[in-house]
Amino acid sequence: MSELAEVFSQFVVHQSGARSAKVIAFNKLSGGAIQDNFGLSLEIEGGMQSGLQEFVVRQDAPSGIAESLSRPEEFRVLEAAFEAGVTVPKPLWLCEDLDVSGQLFYVMTRADGSASPRQLVKSDFTGEQRCMIVRRLGAELAKLHTVRPPMRSLDFLTVPDQGNAALSRVSTYRRHLQEIAEPHPVLEWALNWLEDNTPEPGPTVLCHCDFRTGNYMMADDKLTAILDWEFAAWSDPAEDLGWFCSRSWRFGANEREAGGVGEKADFLNGYREAGGADIDPAAVSYWEVMALMRWAIIALQQARRHISGEQRSLELALTGRMVAQMEFDLLTQIQELEDGQ
Amino acid sequence: MINRPNNHDLLIEARQVLLNSLTPELTGARKYDALMIANAMSMAIRELGQSEQAKVEEADQAVSTFLKTRSQPTHNAEGETSLAEAIRERRLDGKEPALRDVLRTLTEARLGINNPSYLKR
Repeated sequence: MSELAEVFSQFVVHQSGARSAKVIAFNKLSGGAIQDNFGLSLEIEGGMQSGLQEFVVRQDAPSGIAESLSRPEEFRVLEAAFEAGVTVPKPLWLCEDLDVSGQLFYVMTRADGSASPRQLVKSDFTGEQRCMIVRRLGAELAKLHTVRPPMRSLDFLTVPDQGNAALSRVSTYRRHLQEIAEPHPVLEWALNWLEDNTPEPGPTVLCHCDFRTGNYMMADDKLTAILDWEFAAWSDPAEDLGWFCSRSWRFGANEREAGGVGEKADFLNGYREAGGADIDPAAVSYWEVMALMRWAIIALQQARRHISGEQRSLELALTGRMVAQMEFDLLTQIQELEDGQ
Repeated sequence: MINRPNNHDLLIEARQVLLNSLTPELTGARKYDALMIANAMSMAIRELGQSEQAKVEEADQAVSTFLKTRSQPTHNAEGETSLAEAIRERRLDGKEPALRDVLRTLTEARLGINNPSYLKR
């Protein structure tokens, strides 16, 4: 570990034009199966970052998996979000030279607070604080969604087929489902429903695509950073709104539809008042159903990694057994939408 | 062959030891691992239990009866595979309440094993 800390320290010295840097602290941070995140505190002498500085270094894990952005791609997305005014760690330097640490990595500023969903959902916030938090989160998405194609720096992101992100998703998930050996009639049925009930497509914008409680940092009731950009894509803005409100990401606080933290109406008002499109709440509900579908497909893929022997893991095995929860929620939510609830 | 106590009984006792004696001594990632093991054992215990097995058989029977009444082929060993195919190929009306009842019965039987508390939501 100390050798790696020195490697990163030297990289920062070189990039920032410093004379030298002393490693004050270095530790692996929790979270991230695809990447390793390290906290790095340096006492820097000279250059543009002189003084005590706190960084996060994010690099590919040796057992990284496909289907998410590479570190250089993620860095470009983070830059685009930062430039759009979204509250993210400031992206500082990207290293594409494998000779430096053996992996691709980038360095960003370190945000205060915690991303723990359980801690946040169980916090003793007042109604006013909850309203303020989810309005702020809605406003952050509105800023992100001002980023639109074409953008040369993001030309690696694909644009949805015929501008219809919902139908693109249905087609992708159907293909993934067919690759799973065992039958899932509820998911087949829900895919048909999603195909038959597609809302009017919104504009194509930069979406985070994993914007949920657990992927943003809070210091008390203040948002300090939105994290984990590896699934970002050009999509329909309602996809991010629906993913955030999905039943899967309320962490037991099911009555608080906006991420288990606050009211959906406050979240959508925050989005709209910060300049976000006036999105039909029915479209958000539709994308909540899509979110359940997506999470079910991801859970099935994780279980398959265990079953196939590619990566034996109790956690992956148990994730496979969670699919019944998503199926139960799909049956319930589709029925509620049809009943006009 | 009679081999007592049986697998169900062994798993129940092993889980009790894990939760009552070992888990309180653990913290952090190890405690999380222990709780995951206890959760996996709970599922296996329920899967071996007679009432849950009866619900699974009931769900399989409901699928089979439904497919027969809709004149759908059940060429596969498992009715659930036939049901999934029939839905994917749009041979069944997704709005039909009887279809939704069958899907719910299947899901509830599976959740009864995997996470019964979710049914009370």
